[in-house]
Amino acid sequence: MAKTKKYREPINWKKELRLAPGYFILLIWISFTFILLGWVLLASFSTTKEIFSNKLLSSGLHFENYVKAWVNSDVAGIFRNSLIYSIISCVLLILICAPAAYVLARFVFPGNKIIQTGFVSAMGVPVVMIVLPLFGIVANMGILNHVMSNAILLIFLYIGINVPYTTIFLMTFFGNLSRAFEEAAAIDGCPPTKTFWLIMLPMAQPGIITVTIFNFINIWNEYFISLIFANSDKLRPIAVGLYSMINSMKYTGDWAGMFAAVVIVFLPTFILYLFLSEKIIAGVTGGGVKG
Amino acid sequence: MRKKVMALVLTSAMAVSLAACGGGGQTAETTAAPAADTATTAPAAGDSQGETAAPAGDGSGLVYWSMWEATEPQGQAIQAAVDKFSADTGISVDLQFKGRTGIREGLQPALDAGTNIDLFDEDIDRVNTTWGQYLMDLEELAKAVDYEASANAGLIAACREVGGGTLKSIPYQPNVFAFFYNQAIFDEAGVTAVPTTWAELDAACAKIKEAGYTPITCDDAYITCMFGYHMSRLVGEPKTEEIVKGGQWDDPSVAATAEAYADFASKGYFSETIASNVWPAGQNQELAMGTAAMYLNGSWLPNEVKDMAGDDFVWGCFSYPALEGGTDGVDAANYGAQVLAINKDSQKAEDAFKLICYITQGEFDKMLSELSIGIPADSNNTEWPALISCVKPVMDSMNTRYPWAAGAEANADMTPIIKENFLKLCGGSIDAQGFVDALKKAGN
Amino acid sequence: MKRNKGMIILFLTPAVLMFSIIFLYPIVRTIVMSFFKIDGITDPVAKWQFTGLSNFVRLANTSLFRISMWNLFRIWLIGGIIVMSLALLFAVIITSGIRFKSFFRAVIYLPNIVSAVALATMWLQYVYSPKFGLLKTVFTNLGLTSLAKIQWLDNDHKFAALLLAYCFGMVGYHMLIFASGIERISSDYFEAATLDGANKFNQFRYITMPLLKGVFKTNITMWSVTSVGFFVWSQLFSTVTADTQTITPMVYMYMQIFGAGNSITERNSGLGAAIGVLLSVCVVAVFWLCNHLLRDDDLEF
Repeated sequence: MAKTKKYREPINWKKELRLAPGYFILLIWISFTFILLGWVLLASFSTTKEIFSNKLLSSGLHFENYVKAWVNSDVAGIFRNSLIYSIISCVLLILICAPAAYVLARFVFPGNKIIQTGFVSAMGVPVVMIVLPLFGIVANMGILNHVMSNAILLIFLYIGINVPYTTIFLMTFFGNLSRAFEEAAAIDGCPPTKTFWLIMLPMAQPGIITVTIFNFINIWNEYFISLIFANSDKLRPIAVGLYSMINSMKYTGDWAGMFAAVVIVFLPTFILYLFLSEKIIAGVTGGGVKG
Repeated sequence: MRKKVMALVLTSAMAVSLAACGGGGQTAETTAAPAADTATTAPAAGDSQGETAAPAGDGSGLVYWSMWEATEPQGQAIQAAVDKFSADTGISVDLQFKGRTGIREGLQPALDAGTNIDLFDEDIDRVNTTWGQYLMDLEELAKAVDYEASANAGLIAACREVGGGTLKSIPYQPNVFAFFYNQAIFDEAGVTAVPTTWAELDAACAKIKEAGYTPITCDDAYITCMFGYHMSRLVGEPKTEEIVKGGQWDDPSVAATAEAYADFASKGYFSETIASNVWPAGQNQELAMGTAAMYLNGSWLPNEVKDMAGDDFVWGCFSYPALEGGTDGVDAANYGAQVLAINKDSQKAEDAFKLICYITQGEFDKMLSELSIGIPADSNNTEWPALISCVKPVMDSMNTRYPWAAGAEANADMTPIIKENFLKLCGGSIDAQGFVDALKKAGN
Repeated sequence: MKRNKGMIILFLTPAVLMFSIIFLYPIVRTIVMSFFKIDGITDPVAKWQFTGLSNFVRLANTSLFRISMWNLFRIWLIGGIIVMSLALLFAVIITSGIRFKSFFRAVIYLPNIVSAVALATMWLQYVYSPKFGLLKTVFTNLGLTSLAKIQWLDNDHKFAALLLAYCFGMVGYHMLIFASGIERISSDYFEAATLDGANKFNQFRYITMPLLKGVFKTNITMWSVTSVGFFVWSQLFSTVTADTQTITPMVYMYMQIFGAGNSITERNSGLGAAIGVLLSVCVVAVFWLCNHLLRDDDLEF
């Protein structure tokens, strides 16, 4: 772990030249990405007429699109909801799934294969078939009639839906870790439970970060469950809120406003993402997975 | 508020980064701590919301689920009506804007589970057919306030018809599905009267083409309507539905329809890009921009494209032309409305009906019509918004009501196949025989 | 191993409990439902009509459903090959010691976090536009007039257009999984191989690939799972009614449960349940295949 990072050395032209095809491919791909996103950004500052006649920005910047999109909908409210749901769910997911993944990856016991197969098949079950039988029970229990219990229910569902995925994903990472660590810990007299929390869990860090980011984005963008179970407008998360904003803009022909709404919702995600993506790199390069 | 959001963003970032970076033995503890922090923030935020919203089902007020979004003009007008209603009567209303998808997916499960919803709105056919079993009979309530005195008789009759003979829903925000056109292009091309027969439409298209414009455009979302309308003009809507549901593609009317459109396609009357127009490309980029003249669409069209078309755009409207030897004339079309209905289990039906009157009559009906550039439901509101005043004669001339797409979409298993092949037919890549063969091949 | 028993139970219970409530019960109910005719998804059991296998028979006889399965298969296979090759290529480039690595990685993954609604609108209204689209402009400038003339959204090209747009968004996700797998391979292997005179390609072939088996498995499983749920993109590429080129089983199922488009059509949740059952079977089959074709050799590294 004490190894110094290698790519901070001065430019080695021979090496860079060898990598040139790589740069070239990546540059084509990302310039395409930038053109796409850039177009949306420009569209969000244009008028609808300009968008559909391909003359973006020809009458200057139209900030009123943003004002309209922001004022008309409770953007701050839907952000707050999504943040609360995503953070709590992500943390609890790791606490629930990491131990299970570790046990499934490391120990042989009756039922191990069955649980694994069950989890994997669960990932393939279309969410609509899970959600609707659950709806009847939940609604009959009166959970949907109170904001607080409804919010807890949503978080419970977000966690539940992502348990199989997170567990299977982390299993691969635990499976790839060397057993030497546990053997060493066992010789030192460290009980297996403690070994897991103190040694193995930190080892799986790159995996945990990656899966948490995926979970976060999944929950952040989750649409179907929220649509059915977020019974009050006050509970709407981002995806449903954005969708309703976009729809109302579309049906009133305000496409510029629609793109402004898209940008408003996208920007904070993007900034948060930039921050987190740095963390991935740090996690992956600093990981202790050296044989 | 912004401060609070920022704080949450930072907390979240910290929680995740701590969980991520904790490389030592402290991982479990450091992860747990921020989690507990955020957990306590959450209920606080939830509570403060809970106080402002009238909790559903506490029995104190009305619960109203609407198909609109709060940001739409319709939503704003309904909100205004509800506010006035609450101020006048002291009855609180928990108004929830569910959106189109939201209400379509969510209403029935909620009603089944006994959720307390007093009234809701959606399309006339969906409310009366799909949700028919949940509706309260409104005849008595309507009679009590003499509702029909100022209501559109045709629409009330339509509601009775789909309600199985009795009035189970109250129409508002009416619409009609017909050809909409750009008056400027008609004038320039020298088309002086709207076409009432297929031959006249043919002649008009020829003139428009001559003048250098695209006569007709469409988008994938509406293309089946042209097929349905033509079929229904030929053999009537019930027969069209029978053909579509029963897969009777050998019926001569199918071939006749295909030939009529193949003929138009060969004459170059359709947009060059008709086969690849994905909504809203055709209506926004061709019709509104003034390169195409006609579009078969609903009376909501002028509103949807007003930002692109500009203020000087003059709209015209005419009903789908009659066909030689056909069953239906220009007095038949898909016209209808959104409707409001009351849950049959509602304990507050009278209050709910009073609210319906607020929304569908007088001041707020006018407001709804003005904000959404829609047709007023109250027959006393005789002044229609300028953009759609051209629709009035068409709407007033209607006698026979078609369902959506005049029956062309009655068989969900066939809709995509009709759509695909009709787009090809209009685009000129298959001929009439090819169209019929493709439908036959798909069977059902 | 006996002393681990308590730990195994303790560690597994929360996950398995969640799994049982959220998945096991509803899945069992779904399987039962697939043998019934059910109008509304929340209809009480008393209103269900037992119809045996007729839901499955009817699906097999419906050409639209067969089309939707074929589309799904094409998305899975063709899209899978495209996405996996690009993702692996990018992962290898990114881990090869290039500069601005984190920047490149961040940008490639970026489309994945943009809402599908927004992404699809960009592609539909801008990239593929037959009037001023990005593709048209690029091809015209390159002098490729025949390519520039293509109407990307007509029936013959719509599927390719959909697939391209979808893959664009998915590459970054799978690249991250590959890249984190490659990062975990010790650089000692590569240094030793370089000393032994192995070139980059051989290093990739004999070191990276074998050690990535587990990661491949993860990626293919994830890809299959996301493909099966293919829904949003399909809906966005065919706004109101479904389209033969873009319909997938999920869309078909949605039509059966909530009705199709603007028309009021017959609904049958039992049929929808049967589709759910069929799709689940497909995923299990794919996973089984993966497990047997990419057997873990228990490589320690």
